[in-house]
Amino acid sequence: MECYSEQTCAIFVDGELAADEAQHLRGHLATCQRCRKLVDALRAENRILGESLQELPQETSRPEAFSRWPSWVWGDLAVMGAVLALGSIVSVWIGELEIPGALEWLNPFTPGGLTSLMFDVSYYFTHGGAAMLTEYAAVVGGLFLFLLLGGGALLLGRRGRLPNTSLGLLIVLLTFSLPGFALEHRHGEFVTVAANETLDDTLLAAGNTVRVEGTVNGDVLAFGRTVEVHGTVKGDLVSFARSTVVSGTVEGSIFNFSRSLDVEGQLGHSIYGWMQSLRVDERGHVGDGILVGAGDVNQEGEVKRSVTIFAGSADVSGNIGRELTMTGGNLTLTNTARVGSNLTARVRHLKDVHIAEGATIAGKRDIQERVRKNYFARPGFYFYQALWLASAMAVGWLAVVLFPGFFAACTQAVGAGWRSLGIGVGVLAGVPVAVIVVAVTLVGLPLAFMLFAVYLAALYLAKIWVGAFLGRVLLKPSGTTKGDWLLGLLVGLLILTIVGFIPYLGGLVRFGVVCLGLGAFAWQLYQLSRPAVAA
Amino acid sequence: MDERDLESVIGRAQGHDAEALAEIHRLYAGRVFGLCKYMLDSRESAEDATSEVFLKLQRSIGTYDGSIPFPKWLLRVAGNQCIDALRRRKRGRQVIVEVEDITNVEAPSAELSPLGAAIKTEERAQVRDAIARLPVSYRVPLVLRYYSELSYDEIAQQLDLQRNHVATLIFRAKQELRRKLMQRSK
Repeated sequence: MECYSEQTCAIFVDGELAADEAQHLRGHLATCQRCRKLVDALRAENRILGESLQELPQETSRPEAFSRWPSWVWGDLAVMGAVLALGSIVSVWIGELEIPGALEWLNPFTPGGLTSLMFDVSYYFTHGGAAMLTEYAAVVGGLFLFLLLGGGALLLGRRGRLPNTSLGLLIVLLTFSLPGFALEHRHGEFVTVAANETLDDTLLAAGNTVRVEGTVNGDVLAFGRTVEVHGTVKGDLVSFARSTVVSGTVEGSIFNFSRSLDVEGQLGHSIYGWMQSLRVDERGHVGDGILVGAGDVNQEGEVKRSVTIFAGSADVSGNIGRELTMTGGNLTLTNTARVGSNLTARVRHLKDVHIAEGATIAGKRDIQERVRKNYFARPGFYFYQALWLASAMAVGWLAVVLFPGFFAACTQAVGAGWRSLGIGVGVLAGVPVAVIVVAVTLVGLPLAFMLFAVYLAALYLAKIWVGAFLGRVLLKPSGTTKGDWLLGLLVGLLILTIVGFIPYLGGLVRFGVVCLGLGAFAWQLYQLSRPAVAA
Repeated sequence: MDERDLESVIGRAQGHDAEALAEIHRLYAGRVFGLCKYMLDSRESAEDATSEVFLKLQRSIGTYDGSIPFPKWLLRVAGNQCIDALRRRKRGRQVIVEVEDITNVEAPSAELSPLGAAIKTEERAQVRDAIARLPVSYRVPLVLRYYSELSYDEIAQQLDLQRNHVATLIFRAKQELRRKLMQRSK
């Protein structure tokens, strides 16, 4: 009888030959040694093939044990090293500076610090700080993300490599920033530039009280409980403090992140920042304008140009050279107030605007209630919402294209509910504190800026994860193509946007969405930093 | 985990129990990832496909009726996911194409087949490496057969091919594998 072909034998060995043909072949094997050897060899081949293939999963499912051993170990060691280095720098600094006093109001582990922090946080949220921050994040975070994702795509050309790379970048930046700034640097319980003293460098000062009585020819970066400028600062003043008082002269601008800022002296340019209270004393003179978000604003002095404020309450009794634009709660202009151009106010209730008869307003008065129906009546509102939605969709699309796995995982992590919410609240409150604490160490300044940028980006992304999650829950698409994801995202974002405008509930929902999304993102970043099959 | 435990886990997962789904992930993520890695040949794509499989599982597990062992069912789902991914990559074009005839490779004998002789661990690594370098038209059916342990009919159904075609592709895949291993050993 003629021998069978090798292919037929192979099909037989696979157990896939038709029953009658297999029967014949078995009969043939009993008599043909050549075919028997062939079938044995094919069986051995199959066994080896199966065994070889099966070995891989164990190897790849525990990459930490085998294949990716070196990369993750080095990666984690590098991160740990960086964190340790940073931690030791911070602790040495804090120890050396005897700074606990200065930073007490920031330290959540002391009763005083905790109450102060809680007060600040609650004040911040009740005064719409969260909304402002997310609005801000919508612009800056979006921009940053486009740069990050676009740049990442261009630079790497590969997917899923970004986290390691940005981490690497962070470490490199940290390393390079170590010897960076050449400036005068002072610390201690009381840091003073004496009245007869002149500094030609930029001054970095950290202490319980930072007082400039002499002259600083550069900028001043100050961290402390109290920052006072009685002398002259030729550059800018950047202040992170509980209270900042300027009774001397700052020829540049003030960038202020304090609880209170009092300007009693001369300021060459502008005031920018976030604070609980801002007061420009009647002796105070601002050479340019004011752009701040604050709880209370008291403008009693002279401002040469425009004033733009987001404030719970604003009292103006001084001079404003150009426009006054105010968004917030109460606005009072006293008899002595003078506005050189238009007055624009968006307030909750018209009755909260008091303009004394003696007040002078050179331009138009445009005072409107910030009622919700006004939102919906304005075409600009829809344009803004459409623009926001389009940019969010664009970011979502980029994320789906570049990191489909990460996108899916983040979206899924939203479903973890309380875990995401809890982490989100922690991250939302913790990161700003961390940013400030990191910024206190000079070497940490670039790191603090990067951290803040990432924080804003994460705030922006929060709505995207939650939107995508919501869309998927509602649509239950059968596929997981990009189209499905994007449709889900669109539906989810639309719903979130609409729900966000429901009075009272909307604010709560927005806050919840930010926390959920932030938590999911943070969790997923954490998962990504750990070696495991993406889940 | 014995069979009854697995059944209970699957039952709970079908009732959308998050912990049960997590347990299934813990048990089978490695195997699913292995299949995806073979079929898609890049780590990132395989990770993406793996997470897609487990994402979809939340809903699709409801369709599992116990008629075949669960791991086999899951691997079939994963196989489909990978084939979808390959199709998307090819923009809808046929994933499995006819490959030109391979120059005659001698039939194996028990002593001489380079594949049959790959017994040591490092030699198996070479086998895996050679599989990874096979053209997708050979690699996919081969992996579905010997990793997912699907029958020719099941593979034909997944790949939308004739059964005979599947048999030929698997046969040629093995020939090509032998050729690659032989070249290496020379």
